[in-house]
Parts: sequence; structure tokens; C-alpha cells
Amino acid sequence: MEKLFIEETEDTPEVTLDPQEGVFKISKISVPENALDFYRPILDWIKEYAEDPNAQTVFDFDLEYVNTASSKQVIQVILLLQKVAEKGDVKVNWYYESIDEDMKALGLRYKKLVSVPFEVIEVE
Amino acid sequence: MAQELTNNLFDIAFQLFNRVGDRDFEYVYKGYFDHDITKKILFLADSSIGRLTGFSQATLQKRIYYIMVEGLQNITHHQDEVANEPSFDKYPPVFAIQKYGDRYYISTGNIIANPNIDPLKVKLERINSMDQEELKKFHRDMLRNGSISDKGGAGLGLIEMSRKSGNKLLYSFVHLDDDYSYFYMQTLIPTDANFGVADMDNGQAFSSLENVKTLHSHMNKENLSLMFNGFFNQENLLSLLSIIKSRPNLPLTTIKISNVMVEMIQNIIKHGSKLSEDQVGVPGVFFLGQTGDETHLTAANLVQAGAAESISSNIEYLNGLDREQVSDLYDQILLDFAAETSAKKTGLGLSDLRIKSDRPLKYQFRDAQVGDSKFYILQTSIKTKK
Repeated sequence: MEKLFIEETEDTPEVTLDPQEGVFKISKISVPENALDFYRPILDWIKEYAEDPNAQTVFDFDLEYVNTASSKQVIQVILLLQKVAEKGDVKVNWYYESIDEDMKALGLRYKKLVSVPFEVIEVE
Repeated sequence: MAQELTNNLFDIAFQLFNRVGDRDFEYVYKGYFDHDITKKILFLADSSIGRLTGFSQATLQKRIYYIMVEGLQNITHHQDEVANEPSFDKYPPVFAIQKYGDRYYISTGNIIANPNIDPLKVKLERINSMDQEELKKFHRDMLRNGSISDKGGAGLGLIEMSRKSGNKLLYSFVHLDDDYSYFYMQTLIPTDANFGVADMDNGQAFSSLENVKTLHSHMNKENLSLMFNGFFNQENLLSLLSIIKSRPNLPLTTIKISNVMVEMIQNIIKHGSKLSEDQVGVPGVFFLGQTGDETHLTAANLVQAGAAESISSNIEYLNGLDREQVSDLYDQILLDFAAETSAKKTGLGLSDLRIKSDRPLKYQFRDAQVGDSKFYILQTSIKTKK
């Protein structure tokens, strides 16, 4: 499957979905006005990937901030990873900066709501 | 423990909101200035100038930019001189950029030791007495003979501001105590190239300097460090955000403040009423302030009169929930994909603010002076950790 790369902007994250290299990552910041349009191609890509995924998928979220509009899209990304988990191993890593309570809380919230292995990891 | 929104703050927001016309804006920042924050203020102004005026005159933009740089450097220059004085924390410097109609106003305020007032007045009067030719010559002479100014480049900056604006420098001193006064200075920049020095002495310009002094005193009374009054759009938000993030005083809570700010301003952008469809953003007012160990963020904008009731009942409902209940509600909304396409209706934003703040949200409505709208003010407070 062809990889998907989206360059970061001031208000949207950098996205790398690359099965060949085994890199699945959403990083930087996600505060767009219209989160729906931004996440649509990502959701479509994962839907297709779920049909025939790698034996193992480690998905990294390393986000500085996720606005509420995006948080609703991110949960959909994670729910789709549950579908991926039906055909392969999936692990989600949620990184947050040690002083950022809000991103930690959001990570823990997602962890609680989904069934895939989900680790909330503090970084300095 | 939850205190009411002060009526005073509400009045200020209402007053400010009603005085900016289409495409006008005002931005005031009070506090410590360093190179980084200066850069970011310039960036904010740059985006506002480009977007809000629609002027393509590169000259005007460059001119405004240049005068801002001089004004901001003037502040940093003076703050270095007094940074070790006990009065520095008590009387932080202030910077304002405003646009009303066809004029920009750039204002600075900083403390000055009382004995330095008279020499500065002499310098300012001398500059103000010169025409463009004389200023040019004076500037040249100063460059050749740096010893004219005993205060580094301060004199040069003043001359340059006067030259670039094509106008006199307005100034005013406000006595603070036995040792210090505030020195306010304002430069007027017309957006029309033909509008020149002759137009300078009218009362309108002077009242704008008074206006900045009043704003500054409001900000002092209400402990505000930042106010933006104008049109909100994603671009402004990102610029304001970068200013907050470069604030050096609040390292621990900065992240939280900027997170809350994103939600509050996007709330204005999403739900606020525009006065006309072709507006470049949603008109609103934003304050950042501090009282005791709390930082508060206040946003005000117009909403449809019909929406006011559902907003109040939504906030009242959220305020009545405990931490766990709000959290459960948030999960519920997050997973409610039927409401996915109408993210507007979900109330995710308010629930999020309620969670981040961990205390009741404060709000008020008032009859607006325009059409079928209500003026809506919302305040989120965050505990500032020591």
C-alpha cells in the first residue's frame, strides 16, 4: 500500500503512514478550524490499510496539542486501529510532555475508551 | 469560592467591542518584553495589517513595521535601564497597536525616572519642531556624531519614528511616585499617503493617546496583561498563541493557558455572529489576566439572541456537574458520531473548558446594540501552580 505523508502546517500535524518502513505517526500540533476535512484522507487510508495490515503496527501520537474539533477525529483514528487489530498486532503510543496535564489527560481518556493496547508515555 | 465576573471587566469588554468599526482592531500587551516577544508581536500585527486592511501598499506596511520595531526597541532599551529597580515589576511597560478607520496608532508606555523627564521633553520638542528636511539633516548629524545622545540610540529611534510616520510624536507623562513616572508616546500613521503633518494637531489624535492611557489603567486595575479587540480568525489565533507561548513568566501554566486559549478563540470563530458576511473574521474581545493564584481568560462576542438561552443552560448544567460527571459527559460526546458533522452542536468545547479549568465557568449576557444579538462574555480560570 502506498504511503501517506502530510507535511505539518502551523495548525495541522505532520502525518506519516508508511507500511514499508513500519512508521505510523501523527506529530506536532493539531488545531485546525476544520478537523473533519483534514482527517478524512487519514481515516480513508487506515480503513484501506485495515484490510491487509502489517503483522505489527505501532502507531505513535506525539502531539503538542489537540483541539476539541480534532479530538473527535483522533478517536476515530484510534477506533479504526481496533479494526486493524482484527488482522494484526496493534500498539498505540501516546506521548506527552511531562508538564502538559491536558495532553496526558486526553491520552488516558483515549486509553480508557478503546480496546487496543495503548500506552501513555511521558517525555521530558 | 467562585467569584462573579467583575462588572467592571464586563463593561470594559462591552465598551471596547462597540467602538471598533469594520476592519478596525486594537491590541495591547503589558509586561516584560524580550526579543522573542517583540518578534511575535510584529508577526501578529503583520497578519492583522495584511488581512484586515486589504491595503497592498508595501510602503505602508513597511512603515508600520518599522515604527513598531523602534517603539518596541525603545521599551526594551528603557526596561534594561530600570530592570533592577523595585518599581519595574510594579509598573511594567505597555505596547499598543490600534487601527481606527484610516489611521494606525502605535503607542508605548514605560517608566522613567523623574529627573529624566525634562531632558526627554527637550529632545521630543526639538524633534517635533523640525520638518522632514530638518529631521533628515538632524539624523545624519547624529549618525556622524554619536556623542550628541548620551543615551545610546534612544534619540535616533525617536527621530526615525517621527520621520517614518511623517507626524509629530505625541507624548504624555503620568506621575507614579516620588521616583518614577510613566512615559507614554504615540505615533500616528495615516494609511493615506497624502495625509500628512498638517493634519497632526487635531484633537482626535490626542484623544487616542488618552484612550491608550485609559486602556492601560483599566488593564492595571483588572490585572490584565493582554487584550485583543477586533476580528478573530485562525490566523490571528495562531499569532496570539505564539505570543502566549513566548511569555517568560508562566512556564508551568503556559501550556494550559495556550490550550484553553485555542478552545476559547475557536469558540468565538465557530459560534460568534458576524456583523456582515464579508467580514474577515468574527468580531470579539479577548483578555488574559491574573488575580491572586488564578490566570483568567475572557472572551466576548455576539451570539444570536435565540442561542443565548441554550448557551446559559448548557453552562449551568456543566457547572453543576462534578469532575467525574463532566468527564463522562465528554466521553459520551466524543463517541457520539451522529453529531460528528455538526460538531457545533455537541458542546464539546464548553465541556472541555470546564474540565481544563476544573472550576465553574463564568459568563454573562447583555443586550447588544446591534440587531437581534446578545453580547456574550465567557471566562475560564486556571489555577496557577506555584
